[in-house]
Amino acid sequence: MATRHDDASVYERIEADDRFRELRRRFRSWVFPMTAAFLAWYLLYVALSGWARDLMAVKVLGNVNVALVLGLLQFVSTFLIAWAYSRYAARRLDPLAGEIRAEAEHEAERERA
Amino acid sequence: MSTAYGVAAVVLVVLASALIGGFGIRLSRTTSDFYVASRTVSPLWNASAIGGEYLSAASFLGVAGLILVHGADMLWLPVGWTGGYLVLLVLVSAPLRRSGAYTLPDFAEARLESMLVRRTAGVLVVLIGWLYLMPQFQSAGLVLRAITGAPEGVGGLLVAAVVAVNVLSGGMRSITFVQAFQYWLKLTALAVPLVFLLLAWRADGTPGPGAGAATWALPLAGGREYGLYSTYSLILATFLGTMGLPHVLVRFYTNPDGRAARRTTLAVLALLGAFYLMPAVYGTLGRIYLPGLRGGDMVVLTLPARLVGGVAGDLLTALVTAGAFAAFLSTSSGLTVSVAGVIGQDILRGGVRSFQAAAVVAVVVPLGLASLTRPLPVADVVGLAFAVAASSFCPLLVLGIWWRRLTSAGATAGLLTGGGLACGAVLLTLVGGPHTGLAGALLAQPAAWSVPVAFVVMIVVSLLTPGRIPPGVARIMVRLHTPETLDLDRGDWRPRSS
Repeated sequence: MATRHDDASVYERIEADDRFRELRRRFRSWVFPMTAAFLAWYLLYVALSGWARDLMAVKVLGNVNVALVLGLLQFVSTFLIAWAYSRYAARRLDPLAGEIRAEAEHEAERERA
Repeated sequence: MSTAYGVAAVVLVVLASALIGGFGIRLSRTTSDFYVASRTVSPLWNASAIGGEYLSAASFLGVAGLILVHGADMLWLPVGWTGGYLVLLVLVSAPLRRSGAYTLPDFAEARLESMLVRRTAGVLVVLIGWLYLMPQFQSAGLVLRAITGAPEGVGGLLVAAVVAVNVLSGGMRSITFVQAFQYWLKLTALAVPLVFLLLAWRADGTPGPGAGAATWALPLAGGREYGLYSTYSLILATFLGTMGLPHVLVRFYTNPDGRAARRTTLAVLALLGAFYLMPAVYGTLGRIYLPGLRGGDMVVLTLPARLVGGVAGDLLTALVTAGAFAAFLSTSSGLTVSVAGVIGQDILRGGVRSFQAAAVVAVVVPLGLASLTRPLPVADVVGLAFAVAASSFCPLLVLGIWWRRLTSAGATAGLLTGGGLACGAVLLTLVGGPHTGLAGALLAQPAAWSVPVAFVVMIVVSLLTPGRIPPGVARIMVRLHTPETLDLDRGDWRPRSS
């Protein structure tokens, strides 16, 4: 196993790598806007409950009103967002991470030899 | 209600849990086995276990009860409990896994290089765990009393004893299997009776929820005082509190890699969403058939006998009872492992023996608390635990992962202020509550003010103590944000004895 000192240098090299910066950028550019968006979507429901009563009380089917339908959609949207994140991570984050890893391991191998 | 069926159901669940737990005994030998099951659990198993662990008495009994009493406002509880996982998934799960820390105190120490922060975090984990365990034991007492007429303390004692034995014998590995089993048991125990209830409801001519239904089915229409404030506060507590629940976080370490962790979370969201639809229907049926039920926590248990009746009703009641006990056992087991982990590592000497001693302490204290405090609705007390977690660990995790200038002084001040304020509000609510008026609402749902206060204190104190930025911050930040699968030494934050 590598010593602490060697590790630090590996970390520094990785941090300086453009692809690592790109990886962090891709992560942030997805996660931060999405977090803001889904929080807004949940808060919108509360706002509608407070100030758009008539809309929320509209009966859709029997005693089921718009409020209940929107409430159920909250579950669905939670799942969809998580699924989208999973897809994004698998498509855009994992391959790049794998590339950086392969190179770092190769480099460590060479140093040991 | 037939006592024999109910007792048989409880005995069966207890035995099944003990037996499945027993399979783990010969598998868990090292400290790593006890803590995180050696990271060898597959996503579906893990997701079932997370679901099993997460769906506590509050989900199984409490949500239906609150919906019965307060109406559609209370749909927010299950939505928030599910959404909290989403926040956890996208914001903190990946960096936290990479940190190599097993527990929240491990993370606090690794990030801030301070034993003071570590101990503060440890105390908070134990407090949150106890606050969450207490209503599980109380509900067990209420259910056992309703089924058999036993004194209220007996149910809690039974659950505590089974959990202690299970945790002592197998640690996390066996608990993973026990909890996966318990998720499916809980789902079945609500779904099967629900089919019969709905058939009975149709046969009855599908009556609607009577007078006041329009108000009851509309959020914020007068269910509770200061509904808008309470709802916002509840959302904040549940969304941000999930990441700070000790028994939830540790589960993410049992995935072999980040991809598996994401697949697990997806499965968890599907499993939780499927489960949470049912308490809502129970609450609605309760509104139609049991409008006078006091408190509401017993609605799930009372409906089968009321609507179906006869032997079929008794059998369905027994099934629901079994599900309820599965809920008490699974959540209590997960919490006990986490609390015992912290007590064992930070207060005792670490290692398997300390873990076992700590497990006993971890169940005895909340058992005492359960007998001392007056039972509030179970979902409300669990909500308080979420509020404490959101006011302490959410700022620590979010700032710790994303903000370089966090200092140990700032983190400690924020944890103490946020955790202290929320705990104070909880104590006032538990001891004299529920209080009325604006002050009562502020105390019953503290998250809306205590979370921002904790963030502000943590940031301001950090900015005032720039000299206390930990020297290794660059290294740990790279570690938190390097690709998940990178096989480098991620530090030595392992249980000390391994």
